Amino acid sequence: MKVALAPHRTTVFIALRQLWERKLLNGIAVGGVTLGVLVLIAMNGIVKGFEDKFTETILKISPHVILFDTELRPGEPFLQRYMGTLVAAHVAHESPSERQSRVKRPYEIVRALHSVPEVEAAAPSLAGMALLDFGGKTKSVDLRGIDVAAQDAVTPIHQYVKAGRLADLDTNSDGIVLGAGLAGDLGLHVGDTVHAASAGGKPRDLKVVAIFEVEVPPVDKTRGYTTLRTAQALLGRPDTIGRIEIRLHDSDSAFRVSDEVERLFGYDCESWKESNANFLAIFAMQDMVVSFVIGAILLVGGFGILAVQIMIVLQKQRDIAILRSVGLRRADILRIFLMQGVIIALVGGVVGDVLGKVALHFLALVPVKAEGLVKADTFLIHEEAAIYVTGVVFALVVGVTASLIPAIRGSRVEPVEVLRGQIG
Amino acid sequence: MARSDRPEAPTGSRTLVEARDLRRDLGTGDARQTILHGVSLSIDEGEFVALTGSSGSGKSTLLYLLGALDRQTDGEVWLDGVEMGALDDDDRAQFRNERLGFVFQFHFLLPEFTALENVILPIMRRGTARSEAEDHGYEVLRMLDLEELYHRKPGELSGGQQQRVSIARAVANDPALILADEPTGNLDSKNAEGVFQIFSRLASEHGRAIVMVTHDGDFARRASRQIRLKDGRIIEDTAQHPEQAVNEPA
Repeated sequence: MKVALAPHRTTVFIALRQLWERKLLNGIAVGGVTLGVLVLIAMNGIVKGFEDKFTETILKISPHVILFDTELRPGEPFLQRYMGTLVAAHVAHESPSERQSRVKRPYEIVRALHSVPEVEAAAPSLAGMALLDFGGKTKSVDLRGIDVAAQDAVTPIHQYVKAGRLADLDTNSDGIVLGAGLAGDLGLHVGDTVHAASAGGKPRDLKVVAIFEVEVPPVDKTRGYTTLRTAQALLGRPDTIGRIEIRLHDSDSAFRVSDEVERLFGYDCESWKESNANFLAIFAMQDMVVSFVIGAILLVGGFGILAVQIMIVLQKQRDIAILRSVGLRRADILRIFLMQGVIIALVGGVVGDVLGKVALHFLALVPVKAEGLVKADTFLIHEEAAIYVTGVVFALVVGVTASLIPAIRGSRVEPVEVLRGQIG
Repeated sequence: MARSDRPEAPTGSRTLVEARDLRRDLGTGDARQTILHGVSLSIDEGEFVALTGSSGSGKSTLLYLLGALDRQTDGEVWLDGVEMGALDDDDRAQFRNERLGFVFQFHFLLPEFTALENVILPIMRRGTARSEAEDHGYEVLRMLDLEELYHRKPGELSGGQQQRVSIARAVANDPALILADEPTGNLDSKNAEGVFQIFSRLASEHGRAIVMVTHDGDFARRASRQIRLKDGRIIEDTAQHPEQAVNEPA
């Protein structure tokens, strides 16, 4: 080990000394890398911060998995069931039946779901569209008939109640809980009575018992909750359970559990990732654009190192010739310039990390007015240890790549050509 | 000029350098020209050889070939029993590091390093620890009366001092052969004389072989042997063919 490392002492010595002796030039190269890493950390912090917030809001009010009333394996055709495998006649297009689909034996499924280890809670409900009419204004509402206690375990609505009490739904048979945006649009307050109607059921008057705000505008502006029985009557679907919403211990397992539940019960299931696929696709696109920008800036940083090192190699032809004449090998010369690039990148990366951390701290204080998918007063910042490691790793990759060309060039210097040129 | 003026090479010394029919072509295509046309010579330990000739005579090219810095087009260079053409680039670098020392006209010290650090670079390349290399480097500087200047950078040294430091670097690894390319060419006469004296002493007292390219006729005469080149051929060699030299036109 000692023998193998000993000759490298010379190259380390030379590399460090030369770096130290041209601080300004190297400072510029370091600055390029620092900027790249700084942008990497800041952009990642903002974008991921927003996405995290979105996911978090989605998850606090949306179930992780929804079991719908669509049966995946309808029974075999009547003829086939009785006559064995061969079916002679087949009806090409069955007209839609009047019988509305439903989840059969929903409470057994809910009980069974509770014994699945990943499942934290499950609640049967019925969803449908209804119209609310108040003070001359009409708004459609995404109505959910729920079992209050069970639903609250799946999507903790009570946390977001701004006015009134969620529990009053249970004691008030004709109560409704509305999203703040919807209530605001209609001018409704707790205690007001609103006229509700739907295409299939009997219209009735509902009393606003609570108003909630989850700070997800698409939900706040459309959602309304009633008891299961009220919704069944209003939507004209008595005794029907239209869906079972499920909360998991770990939201990341939603995809897998969704498939599992589908297989177990034969109903179409959807994980929150599928339900929000359009948003997640936008995020994926956004991540790509951000990566592209970060990549471009790091590339510029790399060009900084490249420019400085190329210049140094061209300037140092004479020194390279001398070093070669006193016995340094091509590989030694290569190592010197490569090492310098790596050190520049490493310093740039670490400084970028520090500045990035400071930048995140201040970005979190910058006020912004955002009301789209999520509501926010300042930049939402995501910070993770891994991003600092990523910053340094990226800097190193850039540094090694950028200093490779100058280093190879330096190692190819022919001492005789330089010396001959000097003497003329 | 009388032969007795020259410092005599130690008797019974062995052959250190042997060049056989060296040819060197430079350039390609139409620009291709032969710089050396089959040069043969041998140099013993302790010999102080002055290599002279006009510009373009091929003396620097011959020096670089003898110093394993360049590769010949044809012929052989034997240094201390090793044929340089048979070594790869890395082995030649190692050979230069351990067995050869170079001094150039423009001093060529690394500007970022002190005098002592310049001297110890070749020592450290051998794998010697920094402190040990510094001890040795300091000794070498003292031998050349430079110990006071060990911490100065080249920019803070005079031309003569720089050249003496570069000689210290050349001898740091105790080389058998020192190759100098016009080492006095850029110095005033006092400093040039000092440098010449150092080479003279290295040859006569330390038994090193020295090959020095020079334009200075006086130094060339005072070396133990003078080899004159013209158009890539040896036209005079005071050691081997003194009688020929008389017949050649000057």
